[in-house]
Amino acid sequence: MALSLFEGLRFKPGKSFVHKLDPRAKLLTSLLILITAFMYTDVVIISILLFLEYVLIRVAGVSGMWLKTLRGALPLATIIFVITFFTRMTDKGITFITFYESFAFAYRLVVFLSSFSLFFLTTTPEEITLTLTKLRIPYQYTFAFVSAIRFTPVLAEEMQSIMDAQRARGLELDKGGFLQRIRKMIPVLVPLLVNVLRRSYELAEAMEVKCFGVSKNRTYLKELRPTGKDYAFTAVVIALFTIVVVARIFYIQPALHIFGSLGLLG
Amino acid sequence: MPAVEFEHVSYQYKSGVKALDDVSFTIERGELVVLMGENGSGKTTILKHLNGLLKPTEGRVVIDGTDTRTATVAQLAAKVGLVFQNAEEMFFESTVREEVAFALKNFGYSEDVVKRRVEWALRFMELDAYAENSPFILSGGEKKRLALAIVLAWGPEIIALDEPTIGQDSLQKEKMAEMVRLLNTQGKTVIMASHDVEFVADLSPRIILLSRGKVMGDGDAEEVLTDMEKLAKCSILPPQVVATLNRLQDLSITRRTLSVEAAAREVVEKIWR
Repeated sequence: MALSLFEGLRFKPGKSFVHKLDPRAKLLTSLLILITAFMYTDVVIISILLFLEYVLIRVAGVSGMWLKTLRGALPLATIIFVITFFTRMTDKGITFITFYESFAFAYRLVVFLSSFSLFFLTTTPEEITLTLTKLRIPYQYTFAFVSAIRFTPVLAEEMQSIMDAQRARGLELDKGGFLQRIRKMIPVLVPLLVNVLRRSYELAEAMEVKCFGVSKNRTYLKELRPTGKDYAFTAVVIALFTIVVVARIFYIQPALHIFGSLGLLG
Repeated sequence: MPAVEFEHVSYQYKSGVKALDDVSFTIERGELVVLMGENGSGKTTILKHLNGLLKPTEGRVVIDGTDTRTATVAQLAAKVGLVFQNAEEMFFESTVREEVAFALKNFGYSEDVVKRRVEWALRFMELDAYAENSPFILSGGEKKRLALAIVLAWGPEIIALDEPTIGQDSLQKEKMAEMVRLLNTQGKTVIMASHDVEFVADLSPRIILLSRGKVMGDGDAEEVLTDMEKLAKCSILPPQVVATLNRLQDLSITRRTLSVEAAAREVVEKIWR
């Protein structure tokens, strides 16, 4: 299930409004969703963020892949929930607010992961490269980052086939206690690591053969040119973010107010 | 009881690709069967159904009397040893000996049985000299043999091989063919997926011809590999001997055979007349 998280990093071609948006506008949107998610522990606000993401995802027509990301994020969210719960429990005991905060922390992680999924699902690797280059990140680093993103789904597939091969050798990955299951991952992770190293050497050789890094003044086939739609979209996103920041300053947290009025916050 | 029964099996991947479409066949114990077909024809999907890694979307697969839907992969793996196409990329232990012992430990064999079986499998696959070496430093052919040794060690009745000749030179292919024949002689049911027509022609097995997830032909090697029409439909080139005889139609040679000797005799006779 966790492997489906990587599905959300794979570009899905499309001709939607979101696909055509300037990647910088999409990156800014993802970043602002991330910041907002970290500013609030209010489930109503986080749900609104998730809804806004969902609207964009529907417009882009990639809801299937996005849902896979959400599903893949569940194990991570569960870990966050458990860790937060035990940490808070020692301070506040087992109360409603302990549960609530643990849930909110896990929930916003899902929102954060899915916001980047929106960016990666609708932006080509070339556009990601151009975006990062425009942000004055050296091309070598950009290339390394984009390659990592590009190879992540491939690695997820490879991991699945290694798991299949080890299961065919009688390894029962889903049996046993937590520690036993972690130990059982060694036969999966070692070959995966070996394959990753082998692939990275091969990729490095292939890049050298193609004269990677020979010219300092690299040119690009495509240039990013923002249109009126991009500016309008960015303006709406910034306006919404400003509202969110102002609301935070005035401590507008609907869920907390509701729970407070019900006397659940102690 | 047959070793393998596929009853109207269809399988659709999560991506929506229909890999198998109403596939039915039966494989008896001790048979040597090769699945042939173009890329994406469903060969590997069939092999993955044998040990329950994939369960049919429709229909049922029965292995040695067990419906795969009612058994775990580990239970089926005890009966079906599947050697993956890139099995050598799954090694993780520090020595060849430990790599072979891994599956036996998973199946819960006692230490002395593990030791005995590991020794036997390494000797059988002529790898005993490398027992203490790292599996990562073996040559391509040795890695393939190690992958087979791993499976043979736990003694499954059915051996499934996915493209065993990929990346092998002619000598290694010959050795692989020898091993396959030996296993078959010992009564094992061997099921293989292969593109390699020359290798398959040499083994003379029963062939199940696949195209786009459907069975296009099923018969002995001579019958299937000389049927130019069916081979073309499945994007398979005929073995060289069949192609050569085909080009000699002007000599009114009508015989179709996989035997080079029989073909040569036929040609000489025609020319002599």
